[in-house]
Amino acid sequence: MIDPQDDQLNPVAAAASEISVVIVDDHSIFRTGLRAELAPSLRVLGEAANVDEAIAVVTSTQPRVVLLDVHLPGGRGGGGAEVIQRAAAACPGTLFLALSVSDAADDVVRVIRAGARGYITKSSSGGEVSEAVNRVSEGDAVFSPRLAGFVLDAFGAVAGETAQTTDELDRLSAREQEVMRLIARGYSYKEAAAELFISVKTVETHVSAVLRKLQFSSRHELTAWALDRKLL
Amino acid sequence: MVRPRLRVIGGVCTGLAQHTGWSVSLIRTLMLASAAAGGAGFVFYAWLWVTTPSGDGTLAGIPKSASEVLQRPSGNEEDALKGPGVRRLPLTEILLGLALLVIGLALVARQLGVEVPLSLIIPLVVICAGVGLAWRQFDGIRRASHSSGSSALVRILGAVVLVALGILLFFVMGDRPNVWTVIVAALSVLLGVAVVVAPWLARLNRDLSEERAARARDLERAEIAAHLHDSVLQTLALIQQKSDAQSDIARIARAQERELRDWLFGEADVTPDRDLAEQVRAAAAEIEADFPARFDLVVIGTPPTAGFEVFGAAAREAMLNAARHAGGTISVFLECGAGSWELSVVDRGPGFTLEEVPDDRHGVRESIVARMERAGGDARVSRGPGGVGTEVRVRLPLVASESTGEK
Repeated sequence: MIDPQDDQLNPVAAAASEISVVIVDDHSIFRTGLRAELAPSLRVLGEAANVDEAIAVVTSTQPRVVLLDVHLPGGRGGGGAEVIQRAAAACPGTLFLALSVSDAADDVVRVIRAGARGYITKSSSGGEVSEAVNRVSEGDAVFSPRLAGFVLDAFGAVAGETAQTTDELDRLSAREQEVMRLIARGYSYKEAAAELFISVKTVETHVSAVLRKLQFSSRHELTAWALDRKLL
Repeated sequence: MVRPRLRVIGGVCTGLAQHTGWSVSLIRTLMLASAAAGGAGFVFYAWLWVTTPSGDGTLAGIPKSASEVLQRPSGNEEDALKGPGVRRLPLTEILLGLALLVIGLALVARQLGVEVPLSLIIPLVVICAGVGLAWRQFDGIRRASHSSGSSALVRILGAVVLVALGILLFFVMGDRPNVWTVIVAALSVLLGVAVVVAPWLARLNRDLSEERAARARDLERAEIAAHLHDSVLQTLALIQQKSDAQSDIARIARAQERELRDWLFGEADVTPDRDLAEQVRAAAAEIEADFPARFDLVVIGTPPTAGFEVFGAAAREAMLNAARHAGGTISVFLECGAGSWELSVVDRGPGFTLEEVPDDRHGVRESIVARMERAGGDARVSRGPGGVGTEVRVRLPLVASESTGEK
């Protein structure tokens, strides 16, 4: 599990102008397409097509960011989540960004709870993926509108549940809900910051806090899926 | 071999003719001839009648879909199944009447002093009644497989017991029982039970193979779905990724992806009353087909299943407006809370506010703002995030919608 605080300990990789990336997806056509579309500031160190290959490539190349497909063959059948669980210990400086063609909430929650720093859909453009990689490499979380919507749902924000203290893991604070709602409505972090009259950094802090809650919360909506897949 | 719906007695001759390719009259003549010669034709005819399914390609008794079952009034299943041109003799009733008649005549004759072999007639009648009853049950099973419960089973068992009893009686009441009559009796019982049970077994076997075929089809479909998910969906995602969101190619790929997804993961039976989220999703699909736009739809909360006509229409209008004037990627966010419904449509187009719209253009003002106000809600049009594009927000408090809505 990667703690957000670790990123500050590794300023070399984050500050480098080039971000090293590994693409993990079982479809060569998708890997090739994505590779061609990525921004020039991203350097692709390698590609992998299944769980075992992914673990080998990631541990040997030690990239900053891994673009990880949620559905992967091989290994013990755990897909992208298994890659994170087995590779994270061997590469402390590596961050994982989940890519998924499906929007199924349980798939996404599975990789996020395994330690991914964000999730985007595969139909995102090359520019969007590059931006997400940049954001993740700087230690921030990446939330798609859909993931933000799911978080609002799962933490009971629609029913009006609000966290009273900052260390409460099972509910979102009022500010976090506002940020999530704006992201769900399609606002970028910058736009959300302008709307709420706060700095982009503050928005990023809120998003990271939500990601942490998503990973560690024992809320039953979240644990139900995790238990179902024997993650706990 | 099946028996056709259009039949004279049981449809056996016609069915046999279709099956063998001979002419019907030839089959009928043969059947009559063999019936006259010792009754073999009768037995053969009856046997085929019981064992072959009737019907038009599929098995008669199996409803083709759930809706068919629902549509059929439960009271007169038989009538509904018969269809035009089908004639059925009340065989069981006739047999029963004949049996009673025979017994009555025998008793009367006995009273008059005539020596009647009652020990022969009573078992015969019992056998006939048992077989008749069994046939009726099998017929019932074959016609409506869903109604064959435990009661039907009990009746079948009763019929079988009756047959066995009849055959036993036949021999026990005979004059001098010896080893041979006992052996013959035992064999007869077995034979009788076999004759009665055989059609049922045949039916079971047919059901089993049909079920197996259905399972194989399901499995095949699941495999195809998995394969398509792995290959085609990924390719469609790639095409969208590599092409501009406004381009025709991206639009087509997206429409195809949605269709494929619906086919792969969608529920087979579409419920007639859609909820609000499904309605918004359908509107997005429809608009995407006509305009170079891509809707990013996020729904949270529990979408209502009724009473959202005004809200849904305003939502559609807002989405249509964004697609027409801005295009590109449009974010749609729908929140269905306990107290209100809220929808926001954010586009990244040139942008406009209500003040800039000329008075002669009624689209937004009439179909969104005024409509929502009449329904007790409100709508706001403003600059999009960061001053780019437009954001339309539609809100409907729920208490108001119940008292004044749906005008």
